[in-house]
Amino acid sequence: MTPKIFRERIRTSIADEALQAALDGNAERRCQGRITAFASLPDHSQRRQRAHAIRLEVITHLEDYLSRFITQVEANGIRVYRAADATAAINIFLEIASSHNAKLVAKSKSMVSEEINLNHALEAAGLRPVETDLGEYIVQLRGERPSHIITPAVHLRRHEVGALFHEKLGIPYTEDIPVLTDTARQVLREVFLTADIGMSGVNFGVVETGTLCIVTNEGNGRMVTTLPPVHIALMGMERLLPNLDDLALFLSLLPRSATAQKLSVYTNLIHSPRRSGDPEGPQERHLIIVDNGRSRLLSSGLQEALLCIRCGACLNACPVFREIGGHGYVALDGSPAPYPGPIGSVISPGLFGGQAFGHLAQASSLCGACREACPVDIDLPGLLLRVRAGKAPTGTTETSTEAVGIPAPLKTGLKIFRLAAARPRLFGLLQQAAGLGSRLLSPRSNWMRLPAFTGWGYSKDLPRPVLKPFRNRWADLQHESLHEFKKSDPPPVSADAAPPSTTGLKEQFIQELQALGGECLPCTRAQLPVTILSLLRVRGIERLLVDEAGAEVLSASGLELVRTPDPTCRAGLTRATAGLADTGSLLVTGGAGDLLSASLLPETHLAILNISDLHASLPDVLNTRVVRQAPAAVVISGPSRTADIEMTLTIGVHGPGELIVLLVDDFPTL
Amino acid sequence: MITCLIDTFFPEVGEAMLKVLDRLGIRVEFPAEQTCCGQPAFNAGLCSEARPLAEHTICTFERLPRSLKTSEVCPVIIPSGSCAVMLRHGYLELFADDPIWLPRARALAARTYEFSQYLVDHLGVTDLGANWPGKLTYHPSCHLLRGLGVDRQPRLLLSQVHGAEVIDLPHPDECCGFGGVFSVEHPELSAEMLKRKIGNLEDTQAPTLVVGDTGCLMHIQGGLKRQGRSQRVVHIAEILASRDSVL
Repeated sequence: MTPKIFRERIRTSIADEALQAALDGNAERRCQGRITAFASLPDHSQRRQRAHAIRLEVITHLEDYLSRFITQVEANGIRVYRAADATAAINIFLEIASSHNAKLVAKSKSMVSEEINLNHALEAAGLRPVETDLGEYIVQLRGERPSHIITPAVHLRRHEVGALFHEKLGIPYTEDIPVLTDTARQVLREVFLTADIGMSGVNFGVVETGTLCIVTNEGNGRMVTTLPPVHIALMGMERLLPNLDDLALFLSLLPRSATAQKLSVYTNLIHSPRRSGDPEGPQERHLIIVDNGRSRLLSSGLQEALLCIRCGACLNACPVFREIGGHGYVALDGSPAPYPGPIGSVISPGLFGGQAFGHLAQASSLCGACREACPVDIDLPGLLLRVRAGKAPTGTTETSTEAVGIPAPLKTGLKIFRLAAARPRLFGLLQQAAGLGSRLLSPRSNWMRLPAFTGWGYSKDLPRPVLKPFRNRWADLQHESLHEFKKSDPPPVSADAAPPSTTGLKEQFIQELQALGGECLPCTRAQLPVTILSLLRVRGIERLLVDEAGAEVLSASGLELVRTPDPTCRAGLTRATAGLADTGSLLVTGGAGDLLSASLLPETHLAILNISDLHASLPDVLNTRVVRQAPAAVVISGPSRTADIEMTLTIGVHGPGELIVLLVDDFPTL
Repeated sequence: MITCLIDTFFPEVGEAMLKVLDRLGIRVEFPAEQTCCGQPAFNAGLCSEARPLAEHTICTFERLPRSLKTSEVCPVIIPSGSCAVMLRHGYLELFADDPIWLPRARALAARTYEFSQYLVDHLGVTDLGANWPGKLTYHPSCHLLRGLGVDRQPRLLLSQVHGAEVIDLPHPDECCGFGGVFSVEHPELSAEMLKRKIGNLEDTQAPTLVVGDTGCLMHIQGGLKRQGRSQRVVHIAEILASRDSVL
């Protein structure tokens, strides 16, 4: 039956007005945003089916894909470990940390790290893990767990964050979200620069190329994988895609579903640690691939849950999540479920046993809004039904039972109902008895007021069963004359939306970039130094980070040009390898001669983009030699941003708050 | 098939469906052995209790006579989205590992239709000459909308009702909070969802809410009664069967 603690949590959540306001805002804005974002993808339903098929193929042959992936990742120079469970993953992490004498760990968001309770273990071992995603940082300061996969602090309002920062960081109380964000930026900047280890999750591992793909909006995911000397990535063992073309497909679905963006601000593609000649990047990269119940889940009836790409869309769409939020989902003992929402009510019992988490699956009306929102078409209502039917692994040696989370009296009631319903004559008699009996209970009204403890009577009346059920009326109903109706033509099916008009790549790029808050200045190569100088002059900047191309352009400018990751520079100039018209994005690569930090550390990022390097969209550039061979690359879509406090968009978190693209038509092509 | 809720609580819905089908010249059989499709137990996760009822239902409808003209097995029409989903999808899950019952479940699923789906997609009928003066608004039941993908059909049928002014319900696809055992096991959550649905209904100022599932009907009407509100929840079959403003 529903554990007392779960019911209490439901009641307190419903009674919490601030929480309800936050959750209503989340549901309304996120769902509408998702729908709007998918409107720019006319073939999204076909993409969804393809995505489902690709993920299904991967998890069906998971060991095969994993072994090929590991071979490739190791060939790229990253050390790979497989952890059977949480303890093993933590021990591997601690061993790496102790071999480097590490103390400070800068963490970007990772649901797997929450799942294995990594922070707790690191603290117990004397390390200091610091969450660097703004929302995660807030919940860490509060000593809480994230309440949402994507927006960890969705349950909080600005005044709560203001009070928290006042108390913990000593700043004057404020409800000004940009001020709060900037405070976190300053505190965490120090963490990025001094951390011994950068820790990240992995959104997708690409088998063919061994790519680790990490998407982030604030830029912290880039910081922790670029600046500290050691990078450790944690990955759930199912998060694989066969190749970079598949990755392009999933990158068209994940940001739209998660945050209503065509692409996240930073799509990070990591291949290897720093190579000789590289000006930046960690000396070591480690990848810990975590099982922790996934193999067991794979061989259970819930395996479809492993298709999940952790976008959080099902949480936003769920009417139950909207009432209780992420912290409402608790285990039998009251501890928080590692994953909230509809997918969590499948994964939590799937990974950690039906005994502890099975009751969560009863907290669903099976309305199917989750499945509708899922970008990989996971049959979530079907999976919730399977959890209810006892098909989740038990977590112990006990055999699973049916009707998980249903109290015994209700089970008995359903059994009695079945005994009667399997005997039509008895069923008819009982119907009539119920009709008569209900008239004794409620002699005057057709609607009976039941007490609240019945469940139904909590908020609604129950109709009286009729004295003459349909089966007794049937005989009277068979006398009417017959009419012939002509079949009319079925109505025309409305045609698909017309494809978007084809504007020139340049115009589309500029339009999309501006929509993201970026600027575009078309100029000639000869005008570049003057244009850049005047941009820097108005900002009072005299030294800046540059890559090789930037250094060449500004060689005679008299500016101080820095070619290593120096956090004191307020601007950075890089060459963009490619531009993407449909998302207003830039592809920037790392490696010898490049400087990824120049597009990450400063407040202002200037990027030179040659018009002939403009492409229509991500699939045109993702699966190319230049990406595959880069130790790391990033697709940048606008200035760094967050919406972690009350979903209020704030520009310039950890990455640059300003992105200016210098669009030239006569730069030598790469 | 007449669902157990209609049979026991709302027989007028079943009568309305018969009236509509009769006017279309369709001969209807009602096998009296039918009781419940097993959905409540299935949704509770109690498959061992759902199976006997599913088997009983399959047997009941296998015994139906074939059409004299075409010798086809006659279709099974259900005026309920969720029970239609149970027959079309739930049974396949229930008997997924059963080589004997699975083909029989598949055969039944293939000839099962929800009422409005049958009218529009199978018969190609949209105007039934129904007459319902006044404002209406339509709540798409979750199982009908998402389980069967049926939304266009009931809306098309309602748009042809004479005298009716169909008003859009805000946030139509939000669940009313019924969900079978959910409404009893999680009354607090169910109540919040119901509150929102009734609030949206209030916003339309329509006196009549049309649904395609008696589960939602019983739930929303029960909430309206409890709150002392005057709106009526009516099954789409009742609207389509109405000829004069007697209802």
